[in-house]
Amino acid sequence: MKNLIIRVTSIIFLYFYSSIVLSHHAFTAEFDANAPINITGKVLKVEWINPHAWVHVEVEDQGKSTIWMVEGGTPNTLIRNGITKDSIKPGTVIVVRGYQSKGKLCLPRCIANGRDVTFPDGRKVFMGSSGTGAPRDGADPRERR
Amino acid sequence: MLEFIEWLSLTPWSIGLRESLYMYPWIESAHVLFIAIFFGTLLFVDLRLTGHVFQELSISQMNKRILPLTIIGFVFMCITGFLLFYAVPIRNYQNLFFRIKFFLIIIAGLNAYYFHKTMNKESKKWDKDSHIPSRMKQSALASLFLWSLVIISGRMIAYNWFDCGRQPQPDFINFLISCTADSDLYEGLDGI
Repeated sequence: MKNLIIRVTSIIFLYFYSSIVLSHHAFTAEFDANAPINITGKVLKVEWINPHAWVHVEVEDQGKSTIWMVEGGTPNTLIRNGITKDSIKPGTVIVVRGYQSKGKLCLPRCIANGRDVTFPDGRKVFMGSSGTGAPRDGADPRERR
Repeated sequence: MLEFIEWLSLTPWSIGLRESLYMYPWIESAHVLFIAIFFGTLLFVDLRLTGHVFQELSISQMNKRILPLTIIGFVFMCITGFLLFYAVPIRNYQNLFFRIKFFLIIIAGLNAYYFHKTMNKESKKWDKDSHIPSRMKQSALASLFLWSLVIISGRMIAYNWFDCGRQPQPDFINFLISCTADSDLYEGLDGI
């Protein structure tokens, strides 16, 4: 009986410990911390959906256009951080910093995890979720230093 | 089937939930809470049957006290779970882990059906001679094992490793998630 209690407690502890590390879906499961991106492009559309919003950005480079799908936080976290449907309308030129997905094939589109976005007026806003295990790059103002 | 799911995703309530600021996170949190109530109480029911806890409490007493909580947890867990599916129908429908979870729920459900049918019939008898048949113990263990796997696979739905939108995937994965990816796009690439 005592043994069982110890076993159950340690399983529960391990579970919560791992969920702190893995909260929502872990960054490293899908994105490459060694592949930072810094793209400038026009917003094509924004999917304001749970559990993650997606910003589609068209990047022109030497006459070639690439479409990036950038994953953000939930619609709720975006609005709390100051990204609204009005501030990120299609056509807005934005700068996005983030990390590319592990499979780096851009077929049909490139996929990235967005960290922060810079608007035409110079405003820089965190667009990700806190505590995902993303590199501590200073993009998240709530991050413990 | 996919056409029905696409239609479902375009219903106003589905769009509303998907784009909601508060409803989706509230439902998601409630789902986890009811899983905790369901599985937490189930743990005691099952461990009582295997003889690990509450041995001084008779099976029928335990059923009367704990099982209603398990059922409440189960019902609300199902409602919130359905709503989470309904909010993002296409992605969930084509998600490998969602499909694994659905399959496991069916098996766990059949096990529970067998379990309760036998228990309702015989639990009075077990109270008297305090002997629980070993097939019931096995069924109780299977229940814990299966529902644990259901919870784990539910948790894995968040990961996009095998998503239809993430190609190239091996053909059998695309088959398992009913995904018709344009394979011409990926011709000549490694790993296909």
